[in-house]
Amino acid sequence: MQPESAVLLVVAAAALAFAVTFNPLSISRGALLLKGGTGLAASAAIAAVPTFDLVLLILLTLGVLHAAIDGRRAFAVRLRAPIVAVATLAVALVFAHAQGPDELQRFAAVGLVAGLAAAVGLMPYMHPLDPEEPMTSSPIPWIAFVGPVLAAVVVARAQQMLAPDAGGVFGGMLIGLGLLNIAWGSIAAWLTESEVAAWRYSFVADWGLVLCGFGLTLADGGRAALLILFSIVVGRLPLYVVSRQALRDKAVAQRPINFVVAGALAGSAPFVGFVARVLLLRAATQLYWPLALALALGMLLWLPGSLRLGRSLAVPRGRQAIGVALVLAVNVAAGLYPLPILLAARL
Amino acid sequence: MTVIAWQSAGPVAAAAIATGGALAAVRRFGSGPDGWRIMPPGSTPRLVLCVAGGLIVLWIAAAVTTGAGASLRFTVMVIAGFSGARVLASEDASVLLTATSMLALVVALASAFADGSGLWPYFGAAVIAAGAGWLPHRTARAT
Repeated sequence: MQPESAVLLVVAAAALAFAVTFNPLSISRGALLLKGGTGLAASAAIAAVPTFDLVLLILLTLGVLHAAIDGRRAFAVRLRAPIVAVATLAVALVFAHAQGPDELQRFAAVGLVAGLAAAVGLMPYMHPLDPEEPMTSSPIPWIAFVGPVLAAVVVARAQQMLAPDAGGVFGGMLIGLGLLNIAWGSIAAWLTESEVAAWRYSFVADWGLVLCGFGLTLADGGRAALLILFSIVVGRLPLYVVSRQALRDKAVAQRPINFVVAGALAGSAPFVGFVARVLLLRAATQLYWPLALALALGMLLWLPGSLRLGRSLAVPRGRQAIGVALVLAVNVAAGLYPLPILLAARL
Repeated sequence: MTVIAWQSAGPVAAAAIATGGALAAVRRFGSGPDGWRIMPPGSTPRLVLCVAGGLIVLWIAAAVTTGAGASLRFTVMVIAGFSGARVLASEDASVLLTATSMLALVVALASAFADGSGLWPYFGAAVIAAGAGWLPHRTARAT
């Protein structure tokens, strides 16, 4: 198992424990643990299996199981994205192993990026969202719980399967798609009507940074991608879990805690998102400075959406307040001293 | 797919693929809409898409269907492509589950590209293909 995937599995387990402990809604904690545990076990299997075809089979099984659990969206609607992802990744696998012109390897690169986007639920294949749907059957587990490990595995496998020339195409595709997701996600998180949809778009925007980090093929790019994934799983996801009751009640607040949460979501100092953004800009500057400029402009778009999401948390009380404090503390600690995370991932 | 599995991984893998596919087909025969569903009225956009897709596929096929292991590559690409296209064109759960079964079987075939996973992908794919048709597919209430 890659060290990077192992780190992401540990933080996913921590996020699951947080969701079970601090979920404000009156739902069965046992059911949440069972569904989350299944997702975690599938993520571990995805990271541990030796070949890419087994990764695809596990992904397919997980997609079918996720579509079969209770939810408001139709079974077919929920099953479609994982099937399209597996089909695209399987075709990419064929192209990667085909003997022929160089273009076939480039097709493989396109297929790998498109399959990853479809599996996680990013532009141009965002999973349909029903704001009233329970979190476990919504697209959120794909984008915030299973997706990080899957992305780390797909990127690592792509680096093994693709020739250097196609690897460049793969990186370019990731950066292009990343910029698209940054712009689309951050603007939609700001302007969309539904608060739940705004949270989902904020995940999409964060994933834009992740894709750019993976695409930059420099050490700092990989480090930035890992730290953004860390902030998604132990920052944005737990804060979304805590905000579920306030979202259901349509409650908002503008207390100091809401602005602190907005700062964490926007990736401001001293939270972990800030370190990741600095690393990403440094890598982009080394590679091609206009890209760093585009990324810097894109990062400014986080602010209005994050202020909105911070307000949507309302005023956390009791157990939720403890949960929010815990999330903020972990994100500050990782922001001030990210070296243990990077060393654990051998980056 | 059974023949391809026999060629690339032996009789046990072929038996797993055949069993999984047969069970999926039996289940599909007893569920989903009745009647002839191939090219019903209103299929013109799909027909145009097929022609345009065919031109691209012709070029790809010239590269994919030559050299060693061409039959395996061609089978995986065609079935994965068709399964994905079928999924995008349908809202019917039985159609999606059939595509899931086909996709599982063909991903197992794709394991022949890599060394190291042995017969496990074939057994796993057979279980997924056979079991997918029995999954409950309902739209439940929000909680």
